[in-house]
Amino acid sequence: MLVKLIMLTAFGGAFLTWFLGKTSSRLRDFLAVIVSLAVNVLVALSYGKIQEIHWITFLDLSLVLRINTLSWFFAIAIQTVTTLSVIFSLTYMKGKERVDFYYLMMLLCNAGMLGIVLSGDLVSFYIFWEIMSWSAFLLISYNRGPALAAGMKYIVMSLVGSVAMLIGMLSLYTNYGTINISALAALGASASTGYMIFILILFFVAFGIKNAVWPFHSWLPPAHSEAPSPFSAVLSGILVRMGMYGFLLMLYVFLGVKAFLDLKLGWCPVHYILAWIGAINIVVPTFIAMFQNDSKRLLAWHGVGQGGYMILGVSLGTGMGVVGGTFHIVNHTSYIALLFLVVGAIEYRTGGVRDLNSLGGLIKKMPVVFIGALVGACGLIGLPMTNGFVSKWLIYKTLILDGHPFLAFAALVGTWGTILSLYKFLHNIFMGQLPEKYSNLKKAPFNMQLPIIIFSLIIIVFGILPGIPLKLIGAIGSSFGFESPGINIGGIVSETGTLNTINIFAAFLVSFILVWLLFRAGGKKVDIPQDNSYAAGSHVPRDKYHYTVEFYEPLFRMIKPYFRDFVDEFYMQLVKALEWLSERVRKVYCGDLGIYVIYIVLFLSILVISKIGLKLW
Amino acid sequence: MVTAFGILEIIASPLVALVVGIFFLGLFRKMMARIHWRYGPPLYQPVIDLVRLFHQRGFSHGTLFDLGIVVSLAGTVILVLFVPIGGMCALESSGGLLVILYLMLFAPLGIALSGGEGANPNISIGISRKLILALSYEVPFIFIILSLMSYYRTISIVEIVNAQSNFHWALFSPLVLSGLAYFMILPAMLGLRPFDMAGAPQEISSGTAVEYGGKYLAFSKIEHALALFIGIALFVNLFLGGGNILTFLLKMLVVFVAGVFVHAVFPRFRIEQATKYLWFWPTMISFVSLILIQIVR
Repeated sequence: MLVKLIMLTAFGGAFLTWFLGKTSSRLRDFLAVIVSLAVNVLVALSYGKIQEIHWITFLDLSLVLRINTLSWFFAIAIQTVTTLSVIFSLTYMKGKERVDFYYLMMLLCNAGMLGIVLSGDLVSFYIFWEIMSWSAFLLISYNRGPALAAGMKYIVMSLVGSVAMLIGMLSLYTNYGTINISALAALGASASTGYMIFILILFFVAFGIKNAVWPFHSWLPPAHSEAPSPFSAVLSGILVRMGMYGFLLMLYVFLGVKAFLDLKLGWCPVHYILAWIGAINIVVPTFIAMFQNDSKRLLAWHGVGQGGYMILGVSLGTGMGVVGGTFHIVNHTSYIALLFLVVGAIEYRTGGVRDLNSLGGLIKKMPVVFIGALVGACGLIGLPMTNGFVSKWLIYKTLILDGHPFLAFAALVGTWGTILSLYKFLHNIFMGQLPEKYSNLKKAPFNMQLPIIIFSLIIIVFGILPGIPLKLIGAIGSSFGFESPGINIGGIVSETGTLNTINIFAAFLVSFILVWLLFRAGGKKVDIPQDNSYAAGSHVPRDKYHYTVEFYEPLFRMIKPYFRDFVDEFYMQLVKALEWLSERVRKVYCGDLGIYVIYIVLFLSILVISKIGLKLW
Repeated sequence: MVTAFGILEIIASPLVALVVGIFFLGLFRKMMARIHWRYGPPLYQPVIDLVRLFHQRGFSHGTLFDLGIVVSLAGTVILVLFVPIGGMCALESSGGLLVILYLMLFAPLGIALSGGEGANPNISIGISRKLILALSYEVPFIFIILSLMSYYRTISIVEIVNAQSNFHWALFSPLVLSGLAYFMILPAMLGLRPFDMAGAPQEISSGTAVEYGGKYLAFSKIEHALALFIGIALFVNLFLGGGNILTFLLKMLVVFVAGVFVHAVFPRFRIEQATKYLWFWPTMISFVSLILIQIVR
């Protein structure tokens, strides 16, 4: 019952918000927040329920909604991100046009995502998938201009994925005669190898495009950077990860662990191929991110890169890897959404500036936003005491102890790409010299600070007490048939290596306090302005005295030729070739009646000749 | 569980690291002076400097400027707790080598944040160089660490050290190539010449340290001393078999003196040259070594 109520509130609330927007914008904003909070409470209340309920009958097919640990885990992540983004939107969207439409699409997209994780059969899965894809398309192209092109790129690729998914689903239905996911799960393991590979490839295309897996990632950077920032947070945080949900469903619910690990393409195990795709997915995007000058595009490339860690963890088929990969999904949600909201707050105050080269020194104007950015960056890097560290630790440990040092190398080097690009992000926006035009900048409004603070707290609490989410994720792992990797509140306890984040935190806290006391005991400190010491007291004309532009120039010169988005260039070539071909075909329709008559005569004569010719032979 | 001995270890390890690190700083100046045919300052000169700096007035550029340097020193202090020092390792069961790899980020990040607040172009150039250099030496370093971890089948640094007791040093095992590569990148990790471009005094006024004075400079020097200690201690632990406290420190001294000789005879690389070097020879050697380990195991 609760599940139906969740879906009803989510969809009904979306449309109600839209209708209310026609009368009063205040009421609309209020309702949008209330609806998302209500759904959030409902989802939270359904914790621990495992049930499947009949929903409607459609073309003699019984459509079911179901909830279990895996869907609850995703549902709570989806709803939390959306709620916080909607709260953030209140001021971000104020005064813009088509705000009713924005909220409708935002809530509809959210309802679609909830529907995906709560649906128990393929047909409703597909319907909700399309609702999500299309509302996301409309939101990505909300800003018009370059956003239209970005949205177009997204929807074309998304449609390819949908078609692949539809073919896969039809094939499953004709083969097994059922669309129920749990019924299919029982049948999946008995399929022949060839059929498994066929289904796997179709769904890999479908979910891989949504999850922006290399080589299907090229829609993501423009889409993320052009969408309105609160939606970028949803998009990068959780919408893209619906692909991961799909992967989990396909690999461990439908195929099952044993069948998946035994699956071979020729001599090469399929899970090994997937893991390598994950590794490529980590290294290439994080290095490309290093050279971006658009703050949102930089983050978007990390959205691609972090997806690689998830795939790497999930595809190895060990308990610890799957737990690490799944934990990384929710961790990524928290810090990438946080970082996008940070960029959104800066956009809001500076009038839409995203260029990293023209910002600087904003820490003095927006301290809370800076703390959010710092925590988010630490999480993305995976510093100890943030949640990103725990999931990465689990993945690394699996890779090393399972004997995949080269995959582990890719994962570890990816971290360094992340450090360099995130430091550039922090440095160029918040540190250094404050440009004069921003000297009167105000703090971010409270409704923007609130989501930033909540996300920061999530990152730190899950980083110091990772046992809280890991217990749930361990249960998901057990439902796939893995044994639990020995989870306790402070991390992992096992024979092959122990992680105790509480110890690390305590050690850090004590040494920080001691060093701080020592610092206070030292000589007096004097606050001086920026140009005091390096101008040595002499007069300097007012100008920019800071090094931000082309921050990694020496490295850039060296590796630029190798770290380009070759895949995107290939697609663009493909588009060009297709346009050329269409142009040629279009010439057939020249508009001259005489030539059309000639076409008809030619066609008829071909018919006649072929008829005669066939007779003669 | 926390025992009396455990608490003793937690207190003793940073102190040992501090004393040895500062001794190394003094020795460094003395040795460089003798190589230059000068008499040089007394061995305890860094102590005098530190005490003096600590009481002097320091200039600050804001809260983050202060917090960054505190975080970097605090991060280095807890890093010491994870590194075995002659048989004592205060926090051995808290995550092993992978945690060390990540805790090593705290110090540079703290300095970088503090320096960023300083808004001096020299600092930013220094940080940019430091990060590029770190990316360059991390590539072979990760190969080396992975060779070690897959050879000994553990992620715990204590177990790696224990496996090398009784002269079963990693340097004299199939890991010899990794050890060689590690020695080749060690100057870069310690910031010795030819890899001291991040803090080049003549070009960018010591980079990150340019805005530091008084207690800030004292803290950054202490941090430097501890980082020097940790860098050498890691090498001794991973490849020279650790040992008891005396042999451990003796091995450290040998490695350090070798490092000073390297520092004394080389001019400074440019950052591109450093990256090219680090991504060629050490990376190749460590990569071959990793493949070798896969075959051997």
